[in-house]
Amino acid sequence: MQGKCGLYFTTYAGERQLFATWTSRGWLAALLLALALLPAYVGTYYVTIVNTVLISVMAAASLNLLTGVCGQISLGHAAFMGVGAYGAAFALTRGVPFIPGVLFGGLCAAVVGMFFGIPSLRLKGIYLAIATLAAQLILQFVFLHWDAVTGGSSGILLQHPVILGFDFDTHEKRYYLFLAATVLVLLLLSNLMRSRFGRAFVAIRDYHLSAEIAGVSLFRFKLYAFAVSSFLAGVAGALLVHRTMKVSLDNFTIDMSISYLAMIIVGGLGSISGAVMGAVFLALLPVGLGMAAGSLSGVFPDITSQIAALKEGVFGLVVILFLIFEPEGLAHRWRLVKAYWKLYPFAH
Amino acid sequence: MRSIFKRTALAALIAAATLLVACGGGEDKPAASAAEKAAEVMPIKIGAMIDLSGPTSEVGNPYADGIKACVQYLNDSGGIAGRPLELLLEDTGYKAERGQDIYNRFVFQEKVVAIQGFGTAVTQDLKQSVASDKTPNFSASYSADLTDPKQAPYNFFIAADYSTQLRAALKYFRDNWTGEGAPKLAFVYPDHPYGKTPIPAGKEYAVELGFEIVGEENVSLGAKEADANPAIIRLKELAPDFVWIGGTTKSTAAICKAAKANSFAPTFFVDIWGADEDLVRLAGEAAEGVVSLQAAAVYGQDVPGMEIIKKYTDNQPKMTHFVRGFASMLVMAEGLKLAAANGEITGESLKASLETLKDFDPMGLTPKISYTPEDHRPNMAVFLYRIEGGKLHFLAEQILDRRPEWLGM
Repeated sequence: MQGKCGLYFTTYAGERQLFATWTSRGWLAALLLALALLPAYVGTYYVTIVNTVLISVMAAASLNLLTGVCGQISLGHAAFMGVGAYGAAFALTRGVPFIPGVLFGGLCAAVVGMFFGIPSLRLKGIYLAIATLAAQLILQFVFLHWDAVTGGSSGILLQHPVILGFDFDTHEKRYYLFLAATVLVLLLLSNLMRSRFGRAFVAIRDYHLSAEIAGVSLFRFKLYAFAVSSFLAGVAGALLVHRTMKVSLDNFTIDMSISYLAMIIVGGLGSISGAVMGAVFLALLPVGLGMAAGSLSGVFPDITSQIAALKEGVFGLVVILFLIFEPEGLAHRWRLVKAYWKLYPFAH
Repeated sequence: MRSIFKRTALAALIAAATLLVACGGGEDKPAASAAEKAAEVMPIKIGAMIDLSGPTSEVGNPYADGIKACVQYLNDSGGIAGRPLELLLEDTGYKAERGQDIYNRFVFQEKVVAIQGFGTAVTQDLKQSVASDKTPNFSASYSADLTDPKQAPYNFFIAADYSTQLRAALKYFRDNWTGEGAPKLAFVYPDHPYGKTPIPAGKEYAVELGFEIVGEENVSLGAKEADANPAIIRLKELAPDFVWIGGTTKSTAAICKAAKANSFAPTFFVDIWGADEDLVRLAGEAAEGVVSLQAAAVYGQDVPGMEIIKKYTDNQPKMTHFVRGFASMLVMAEGLKLAAANGEITGESLKASLETLKDFDPMGLTPKISYTPEDHRPNMAVFLYRIEGGKLHFLAEQILDRRPEWLGM
C-alpha cells in the first residue's frame, strides 16, 4: 500500500516541527553520526580543514541572518568576529573559564554590532554596506592600535580550551568542540527564523514599509538582527582563534568579510542550508585547488605558484558564475534536485 | 593434456614457493639491512611557505630561490648525514588563512621536520602552533618578540630583529655625528603590524642616545609618490637630520621620490625589506645616498660563501634577499647536522641542537649566529649599505651589546 503523496499536517505542532519527516530525521542522524566518526577515519590535516569549514559555516550562517533574512547588508562581519575573538581572549587570559569567556566575546561583538547597526534605521542597501565597511575599517584600526587590550601587532597568545577539566589540546578534540558549537548555532538560527523575530526580519527584508504597517518596530528589530548576528559572529570569531591559539589581525580583514558574503550568495540568501552549503563550498575551494596543483606539479613543475595566484581569480569567477546562472544559490539547486527525485518520473 | 598442464603448473608453483622460502630465509640479514638503508636515505622534508604571488612577492621570490639553491648545494654536498633534503615549497600569498592550511598540510600530511617561513602575519599566526607541534620555524619575519623563547620557543631566524637593526643604525649615526647639538630624527612607517613593530624600541633607544625625535608619519605599503607627498611636506618643516623608513621598496621609492621633488634631503635609512637592489630601479636618482640596513652580504661581496652562490646562480646577480634565504637554509642545515650527530632528527632535536650554536659562521654570508635556550637573537649586528651610483656599497657593520632587557622587545 503506497503512503500519502506529499506532506499533510493535522496539527499546528506537526507543522512547526523542524524536521517533519522520518526520512529527513534519518538523514540528519546519519550525517551527525558520520561527522562524529570523521576524525577516526581521516588524518589530522583533514580534521584541520573541517575545523575551518565548521567555523566558516557558523560565520556564514550568522551573516545570513542579518543579510539574507533581515536584508541588512554587512561588509563588516569579519570585524565583528574580531571583536568577539579579542573580547574572549581578553577574558580568557584573565582567568575566565572557556565557555563564559567565549560568551563574553559574543556579548562584546553584540554590543559593537548594535552600535554600528544604529545607522541601519536610516540607511539601506549600498549606503548601509558602506556604513558597515566603515565599521570594518574602524575596528581594524582599533585592533591594531589598542595595544593594552588587543596586544597590537603582536596579538594575544591563548591556551587550549578547557571545559570542566577536559583539555581540548589536539585538533581532533577541538573538532568536537567546533562541531557542537556549529550544531547549536544552526539549531538556534533555524528556530529563530521560525519565531516571531524571524517573521519580523523577513517582513523587514521584503518591504520595510509594509512591515512597519503590520506593527513591526523597524528600529528595534533591525537592532535585534544586528545583535544576534554579531553575537554569533563573535562566538565564531572566539572559536576561530582557537584553531591556532593565537589572536592576530589577519583573520579579521575586509577580505574575510567579503568571503563570508560570497558564501551566503553562493549558498543561497535567507536559508540556513544555503549558508552551510556556501560555506562548505567556498571554504573547500582553495583546498581543492591546492590539491589539484599538487597532483599536477609532477607534470608541470611550476604550476604550484601559478595555481596559487589563480585561486583569487577562480574565487571571483565562481561568485560571478553563481550570480549569473544560479542567483538563488546552491540551496535552490538542492531543492530542485530533491523535487526531481520526489516527483520522478513526472516533471511536476 | 589438461592434467599434464595442471601437474606442471603445480610443480612450478611448489618450486617457486620453495625458492622463495629458501631465499627469504637465507637473505634474512641483507633484506633487513636493505630496509635500514632505505630508512637511511629517506629524505629530510623541509616545508617552505613563502609569499610568491602576494604583496611582498618581489622579495619573497628571490628569498625562496635562495632557499632552493642552498638545498641543491647541500644535496650536491652529500646531504645531511647521508640523507638528502627534500624541499616542499608553497605560496602563502601573504595570507594568514592560506598559511595555516599549508602549515597543517606540511606538518600533519607531509610530516616535515621544520619550516622555512615568511611574512609577519603568517608567522605570528602560527607562533603557538609551531610550539605545540614542535616544528621549528625559520621565518623571514624578524619581529623582536619571536626572539624570546618564552613567547616563541620554536621560532628562529638568522637576521638581527627589526628593533635591533634600527637600534644598531641609530648607534652608528650617533657615533658618527659631527653636526652641532642633538641630531634630529623622524620616523616614517606604514600603519601595519610589520611597520609598527620596531618603532617603540627605536624611540626609546634614540632618546637614550641623545637624538631629538621631531616627528613621525604614516605612509602605507602600497603608497605612490602622491600619497607620500603630504607626509614629506610636513616632515620637511620639522627639518630632521635622519629619517627612518619602514616599509617595502615600493613605499620607500615613493617616499624618496617625493623627498627629491620637495628638495628635502636628510639621511634616509631604511629597514631590511625597504631598500635593496630594486630600489634603484624604482626610485632612480632619488635613491642616491639612502642607507639600507641588511643582514646578509650583497651579491658579489668578497666573502667565502659567495663563490658557492655564484656557482649555483651561473654568475647571474641576485638580490641580497636571495643570499639571506640561502643563509637561512644553511643555518638550519647546521642544526640538522648536529641533530643527526646526536641521534634522531626531529623538530625537538633540531631545536635543541640549534640552541647549542655558538658563533656559527654561515661562510661570511651573514654575521655569526648564536642561539641559547633563553635567547633566540641570532646576533646583534647589522650591515649598513649606502646606495651610491645605483649600487649598494658596504658602509659598516654595527654590533650592539646583547642587552637582556632588549630580548623580545
